[in-house]
Amino acid sequence: MSYVEAVLNGLMVGGLYGLFGLGLALAFGIMRIVNVAHGEFVVLAAYFGMALFTMTPLPLPAVIVCVAAAAFVLGWLLQATVLNRVLGPNPIPAMVITIGLAIVVRNVLVKIFGADIHTINIGPLQEMGLQFFGMAIGVVPLTIFAIALVLFVGMHMLLHHTMIGRAFRAAADDFEILETLGFNRRRVYAAAMGVAVMLSAVAGLLLAMRSSFTPFSGVERLLIAFEVVIIGGLGSLRGCFFAGLFLGVVQVVGLKVVPNSRPLFGHLAFFVVLLLRQAGLSPLLAWRRK
Amino acid sequence: MSLLALEGVDIFYGDMQAVFGASLHLDAGETIAIIGANGAGKSTLLRAIIGLTPARRGRVVFDGHDIAGLRCDLAARRGIALVPEGRRLFSTLTVEENLLMGAARARPGPWTLDSVYALFPALREIRHQPASDISGGRQQMVAIGRALLTNPRLLLCDELSLGLAPKIISDIYACFADICWRGVSIILVEQDIVRARDSSNRLYCLLKGRVTLEGSSATVSLDDIRHAYFGDRRS
Repeated sequence: MSYVEAVLNGLMVGGLYGLFGLGLALAFGIMRIVNVAHGEFVVLAAYFGMALFTMTPLPLPAVIVCVAAAAFVLGWLLQATVLNRVLGPNPIPAMVITIGLAIVVRNVLVKIFGADIHTINIGPLQEMGLQFFGMAIGVVPLTIFAIALVLFVGMHMLLHHTMIGRAFRAAADDFEILETLGFNRRRVYAAAMGVAVMLSAVAGLLLAMRSSFTPFSGVERLLIAFEVVIIGGLGSLRGCFFAGLFLGVVQVVGLKVVPNSRPLFGHLAFFVVLLLRQAGLSPLLAWRRK
Repeated sequence: MSLLALEGVDIFYGDMQAVFGASLHLDAGETIAIIGANGAGKSTLLRAIIGLTPARRGRVVFDGHDIAGLRCDLAARRGIALVPEGRRLFSTLTVEENLLMGAARARPGPWTLDSVYALFPALREIRHQPASDISGGRQQMVAIGRALLTNPRLLLCDELSLGLAPKIISDIYACFADICWRGVSIILVEQDIVRARDSSNRLYCLLKGRVTLEGSSATVSLDDIRHAYFGDRRS
């Protein structure tokens, strides 16, 4: 694998990282909820997708659609039945609930699937590649990147050109005024959480085709999501996208230089960004003032 | 029959009582003003009517139904709209998107995007600008337009003149004749007593959470108002 290929692969992983961050940022920006179970949802989607793919005759695109739909329902239910009960100026109850949820999900996954490392084996498709100027670009990573890009563009369209999307943004700005215009805040929140979990779940499923996962991978995914949000800035689609690409590229190129580095270089890059631009933390701190 | 009647309303923020046994009424098509000093409970009263801070005791009767304790969004869908103090536009949305939020859950009625642009022609030219980038007077127009687009029967206006130049305040008040003409009843909360008196049919004065004066705007004297506004200092 040449460096150019490493950069391209990094971009593809990075698109998914951007989606992790976007899901976290939506819940954070709209509901002021820090969803600590975010990483667990990402992993849960990978396991659910793996089970569907191996135990049913569904083709891969259908599996992705099923996982996306299930994730939307899960996020919607979580908000509508649990998190809407602890709305208020204090963010701690919702955070504690999601911490507990993360523990439950992790252990249920261990109980069902065991603690072994899994990966989703999509068969011969995995090996297919296209030749560009002598470089081999896998069809799968290319498709994954395309899906990530489509989801980002789709989110932009949703937020700016549909009523529910405008309601998401308005709820983030001032939920009281939104209520005085006849919107049920709890319904808006439930839809927003559905979308947030759906984005992360699709990204988690796609990542599971490229790398391995265990029931304990959620923490790592959550960390990446936080890094993306902090680098990219809260409430910025474009910021999340490019921050994800940045982390992905640094990590994959780092892997090429030091094969055992795992995500080390991504985290180091995050650390460097924090040192260079301390304002990068401000979105995380600003929401507490509200 | 009154469109709105408050009967013995007590309102609390946590343990702190802000309004004590307030009663007032408003007929359909009428404009009333609520005046009073800072912290007298004027805004709180509006928050209770639309359900943002529900009254703890007493009745809020709107169109024959007791809506005390009704969720804010449901009160809004029955035809109550708020132009909040400080305007509180959705700052990341454009002018037109702010207006569209008002229209999204609207009742049927005369107010449309076009009729709001006809009322405030200045808004049409800036409709794609972020709401946070426009002048205070235009923000106030957006806030009024957003509330009108829900097609309310009762419009609650909180401190329209706050932080605006006198000329702009006059322009904004000038549009009220148009709004009333379309059958909207209005409650004006104001610190500017003369403006409030000139723009209303009747007025109420609040002092430390209690109604101290109720009267016809045409006949009530500034002396009575001063008395009710500052409390009884002379006796």
